[in-house]
Amino acid sequence: MTRLVDVPAQFDDRSFEHFAASFAAGAAGGERLLFDAHATEWASPYGLVGLLVAGQAAHATGRERPLLTVPANPRVLSYWARAGFFQQASLLFEIHGKVPKVKPAEESDVLLPVTAVRAAEDVHQVVSHIQQRATAILTSQLGIDPKATMGFAMALSEACQNIVEHAGTGGWVAVQHYEWRRRLAKRVVVIAVGDAGVGFRHTLEPTQAKRFGDRWGDGAALEAALIQGVSRFRDPGRGQGLKGIRGYLSRWDGKIAIRSGTARIAIAPSWDDDAPLTEGLSAFPGSQVLLIIPEQGTGTP
Amino acid sequence: MIRPIDVHAVLQQSVPGPYADLVTRPTGRAVRERIELTITDASVLRMDFTGVGCIDYSCADEIVAKLLRTVQVLLLRGVTDAHRLAIEPVLQGHGLAVAIETGAGLEVLGPPEAAALVAEELLARRLAERTAGGTLALTAA
Repeated sequence: MTRLVDVPAQFDDRSFEHFAASFAAGAAGGERLLFDAHATEWASPYGLVGLLVAGQAAHATGRERPLLTVPANPRVLSYWARAGFFQQASLLFEIHGKVPKVKPAEESDVLLPVTAVRAAEDVHQVVSHIQQRATAILTSQLGIDPKATMGFAMALSEACQNIVEHAGTGGWVAVQHYEWRRRLAKRVVVIAVGDAGVGFRHTLEPTQAKRFGDRWGDGAALEAALIQGVSRFRDPGRGQGLKGIRGYLSRWDGKIAIRSGTARIAIAPSWDDDAPLTEGLSAFPGSQVLLIIPEQGTGTP
Repeated sequence: MIRPIDVHAVLQQSVPGPYADLVTRPTGRAVRERIELTITDASVLRMDFTGVGCIDYSCADEIVAKLLRTVQVLLLRGVTDAHRLAIEPVLQGHGLAVAIETGAGLEVLGPPEAAALVAEELLARRLAERTAGGTLALTAA
């Protein structure tokens, strides 16, 4: 018996909850999962990374390897291939449909193809790669001061390190830039980092649960980490990473959102209407981090 | 005694692969531990960051903040604006300060109280002197 998990037609952070609910329902049954992306017309890095996280979680339960039906649209299929998605997906899913053989990362809007992050060395490679690829795009197309492009690499490094330090498993990162016509009418750079690890609540529970008392849960854990800069370590130098990311995004009018377990927290600039904290969502494994940096200087619509 | 440290060279010795970036806590730890092996008798370190690309907060914390538990004064050179982005918040978080060699002289980076202590230490050790304009200049080359 196979349970269907719908992949949304427009698969990004906004439609992610539909996907998470479908995944949670499917995962609860214990049957083999079929991730159906045949009607998917577009996926953001957040969607692609989220799909891998779900695949990893389904794979890890000891059930039969999950199935993935690839997008029917050849243009979408080609884009996913160039974004490096299928290289990673082939390790997790039994893929149904013909996947084009293309070299990832050379596509101009793929700043970093979907890349596995398991250890510190992977973070070194990500940072090294992004500096080579991103500097020109950040300065010429997003109007970010050349001096600040290093801050972008720092933010990316810290986001990836959350996987290495806390997840207890591997994860993925992807970076793309594109014209965000419907939501902002500007170009944006989007960083997505996700893992199917233990999540923020589990990581912080030993040191923070008592402090929060009845309020303790996924939402409180996210609040502690992102807003209060709390870490599971007592070392005062810990917890700087997310704080640093916040500082960088604030300087460039960017957005951060983190989803973990059944909650999602966001620090959204004026151009975005995301809720600061949403609880009671469908359970989804690990943690998913979204960073968005918009084009500078042309005003919000 | 001032002990010179070529941070880029130490990085190359500490991580597999030809990386120029000081990123991740394990890398920071490896670099710091390698430095600590060489500084048993030094109370002042002159760390040259020339050739280092990106530094993230984790590495800045592991290297700069934790070395200040071992040595009294850190003199940094070859520090770019991007490096400062990572180092400054870490110093603020710990209430620590370092001296940065600039073209014009010495700048003490960190919260005011810690910066004042570092400036006093530099003057007491005759590593720096006050210029006519009231700023600090390095005396020891």
